[in-house]
Amino acid sequence: MASANKPINTDVPEKDVFALHFLQSLSNLRRQNTFNSPEKTNDRVKKIKKVAYVSMARAAGGTNRLWSRALLRRAAKENNKVVRFPRRKKRVTCLRRRRSNRRDPVEEEEAERLRNLVPGGGGMEISKLMEETAHYIKCLSMQVKVMQCLVDGLAPK
Amino acid sequence: MDLSGRFGARSGNGVPFREVTGLESLHLGGGDEFRQMVLPENGGGFTALLELPPTRAVELLHSSSSSSSQATLHSVGTLTFPSNPILMERAARFSVIATEQNPNGNISGETTTSSVPSNEHIKTEPAETETSDQAAVEKQNNRCGKRKDFDKKVKSSTKKKSKSSEENEKLPYVHVRARRGQATDSHSLAERARREKINARMKLLQELVPGCDKIQGTALVLDEIINHVQSLQRQVEMLSMRLASVNPRIDFNLDTILASENGSLMDGSFNGTTMQLAWPHQVMETEQSYHHRQLQQPPPQQWPFDGLNQPVWGREENQDHGNDHNSLMVGSASLHPNQVKMEL
Repeated sequence: MASANKPINTDVPEKDVFALHFLQSLSNLRRQNTFNSPEKTNDRVKKIKKVAYVSMARAAGGTNRLWSRALLRRAAKENNKVVRFPRRKKRVTCLRRRRSNRRDPVEEEEAERLRNLVPGGGGMEISKLMEETAHYIKCLSMQVKVMQCLVDGLAPK
Repeated sequence: MDLSGRFGARSGNGVPFREVTGLESLHLGGGDEFRQMVLPENGGGFTALLELPPTRAVELLHSSSSSSSQATLHSVGTLTFPSNPILMERAARFSVIATEQNPNGNISGETTTSSVPSNEHIKTEPAETETSDQAAVEKQNNRCGKRKDFDKKVKSSTKKKSKSSEENEKLPYVHVRARRGQATDSHSLAERARREKINARMKLLQELVPGCDKIQGTALVLDEIINHVQSLQRQVEMLSMRLASVNPRIDFNLDTILASENGSLMDGSFNGTTMQLAWPHQVMETEQSYHHRQLQQPPPQQWPFDGLNQPVWGREENQDHGNDHNSLMVGSASLHPNQVKMEL
């Protein structure tokens, strides 16, 4: 069986793209009047967390990556917005192979856990899942760096 | 002599059968050389032998057709491979296919040499020698790739990857070489291709996650990866909590802080200093009210930022009217993205 094998691309944009998106969305968040006044920090935390993920998804590749797409869709659903994605040339859902390619029970439980962690992992094959995980890890670490810088700047001790 | 030359030259050859006719030029004297190569060291001799395709080696033996050379091989064979007779039958089956396309081939003398290279494999993997034409053609193609594997296979029979797996990644079309003795139907080939894909990606992930290189075994590596992802997500949550707690103290200041943060974050890839310098101008232009004017003075003064001024400023702002405060925030909030876009 022959299959096309292009080099795996897991490029992630520079730190400033992430920083930009995050800061923009943070400033948008502050515009909401309800944001700063209430004492309930939990709401704020949740909002900030959501903002962090959404901005990360946007910065990291928008709708070109499966996990970012799933993330954005999930976030939009919470806000009851409809998200429209531009149609890609290839089919988004990979054609399921006739022979079950997901065998190998040793890896399957690990893959299950990964699928729960990485957004959008439910419908993916293991190889695709691992690609997405690699990109996701890179983006997550970048986002963590940005947020760390911000926190350090805001509350230097 | 030319024998050794031929031995060396053969290893990369894709079509061995062309050279079969050239064998007749080899004379019996070559048989002595051959014996000398075979006898002194089993492993070395056999690897030299194994460089040849089995059919050609067979021809070599056959053309010499001296019982001596065969006897030496037999003796050497029996030394190393005690189960030879059992294997010969299997090897015969195997070499039947091998010689299928060789018009000159004789089946009788082939068994010894075929048993030599295939011995290790047959011990470890059951030889599937289906004689469909497709399989035979593939086997022939595979043999060229396997010849490279022979050294490895003889020495270590537990290597799992075929040698050309690394080269496969670069080709647009994956040529999967079936390992010797493995089924070559499309199912297992697809399975193997998929395996290699997964392994390549696993390597990628191992490089990403710190401390995964030393771990052997896919399950543990996957565990590490999952832990890493979980820790990153927890870090995001913690940082967002800290941000949320920090926020109320620095209500308005955030935007100027963002400006300075951008300067520190984008170390040179983005000129934060120009943004900082341009900031006061924008502040002066857009803000009209008294409160705004009040703020115009502090920014240039507080440009070299120290943490002491921040809370003071924030407290001052808190004492003012909430409306103005909010509008100020809005104003400066809108300033920030605009300004950023300008600089970009």
